[in-house]
Amino acid sequence: MPRNKAEKPRRTAGKARFNVGDRVRVKDLPNLFYSRTQMYVRGIVGTIAAYTYQDVIPEDEAFNRDGRLEQYYIVRFRQKDLWPEYPFDNDTVQTESPERWLEPADN
Amino acid sequence: MSTKSEVASGRIALLDSIRDDQKTWNVLAPRYGVTNPDPPWKTSLVAMCDCLAASGALPALERRRAEDELVDSVYRDVPTPERQLLALVHVMLRQGLVTERELASRMSAVRSRLESA
Amino acid sequence: MSHAHSPGDGGEHPAAPMVEEITDFEVLEIAVRELAIEHGLFSADDHRRFTEWAESIGPAAGSRLVAKAWTDPAFKARVMEDAVKACKEIGIDWAEPTGFGTPSDYMNLRVLEDTPTLHHVIVCTLCSCYPRPLLGMSPEWYRTTNYRRRLVRWPRQVLAEFGLILPPEVEVRVEDSNQKCRFMVLPVRPEGTENWSEEQLAQIVTRDCMIGVALPRPGRTADVHPVHKARRPVQGPAHSPEAANEHKK
Repeated sequence: MPRNKAEKPRRTAGKARFNVGDRVRVKDLPNLFYSRTQMYVRGIVGTIAAYTYQDVIPEDEAFNRDGRLEQYYIVRFRQKDLWPEYPFDNDTVQTESPERWLEPADN
Repeated sequence: MSTKSEVASGRIALLDSIRDDQKTWNVLAPRYGVTNPDPPWKTSLVAMCDCLAASGALPALERRRAEDELVDSVYRDVPTPERQLLALVHVMLRQGLVTERELASRMSAVRSRLESA
Repeated sequence: MSHAHSPGDGGEHPAAPMVEEITDFEVLEIAVRELAIEHGLFSADDHRRFTEWAESIGPAAGSRLVAKAWTDPAFKARVMEDAVKACKEIGIDWAEPTGFGTPSDYMNLRVLEDTPTLHHVIVCTLCSCYPRPLLGMSPEWYRTTNYRRRLVRWPRQVLAEFGLILPPEVEVRVEDSNQKCRFMVLPVRPEGTENWSEEQLAQIVTRDCMIGVALPRPGRTADVHPVHKARRPVQGPAHSPEAANEHKK
């Protein structure tokens, strides 16, 4: 359970891999059960918009669960990168992702 | 690809027998001049969903996936919040958290209790 | 018993109307709950606590937060820095009712601040997560696959159906709450509200404004939109993006 910021964390995951502003790609990992990483962002490159908290991987992605805390991020995507011929240049979508679902995107 | 819910969307006789489009809140409330948008049991239903998730008996994402399938199929014509109630019970029955027989029996007992109160 | 809440005033007013029948739905809810408790799926105490919590929440809290943020820049800064902590100032504790939140709302609120060139709208494509401690129970349309699938794909069409049309240069940012963060929109304070009190401002901050499907404005104190039937047939082609593309072929 993510801790209130005022509380001391039980343990930390160490330095977060990504910084705000980094370009990242969402991996398309196989998932045995329900996944919280939506299909519409798989393989898409976005930008780290914010840090949120550190937490364990959710129970419903229990297949490879090692109990360690990892950083979660808000990732921002351009709608034009998500959908073919999306007509509005400025529109975006943001979703939240644990670090293990992200990899650096080479520009 | 995420796997489709394993909760089959087949019909459950007991729940089918409960369905009555003249007894849903959106019909009953105006008939009696009651303005509350929700029946009094709605908060109890919400609490039940939270409790099942908190205890781990029925996690929220799993329950909602099954509910999405059921309200788009078996309970398509049932209004809110009766559709949520039926979908929840349907999932609980399919997962063996309760049985149809004991539920039918308990419903009789509850109704007798309420009607004699 | 099914009944409307009557005022506890000693019977000086006529009794409020009641639904005078016991439906199978009501009976079913009680029966399954009793069995669940007997089978140890949860405790009666926990259920009571969560029921009381569910009865305590509503969108008035969110309206108060927005109105206070509009009138008190220091409060707004605290909201943007740590929204859960700032909620305590308006009487909302995200730790309730367990001490560590609910298994759906958690304790990670983020408030999304609109600007004249940035408009937020929230959704949960996976299920229908919603900032219940501030907004109460989610509206029925928010839970539908219709809204959840279409908002991220066709946000402007969906907003237009709510009567909200934004210029193309405004960034429409859809926030999909797919993990433990919960979001609420802090709309732009509308013109014509200068010198309004917090109470007056709160009245025009409706639930739909804090979801992002409506804009607050003077005189608009209720969310009213075309009634979408509870069971919009999903087999109809009109609401699928695939079908939308079909038209263009």
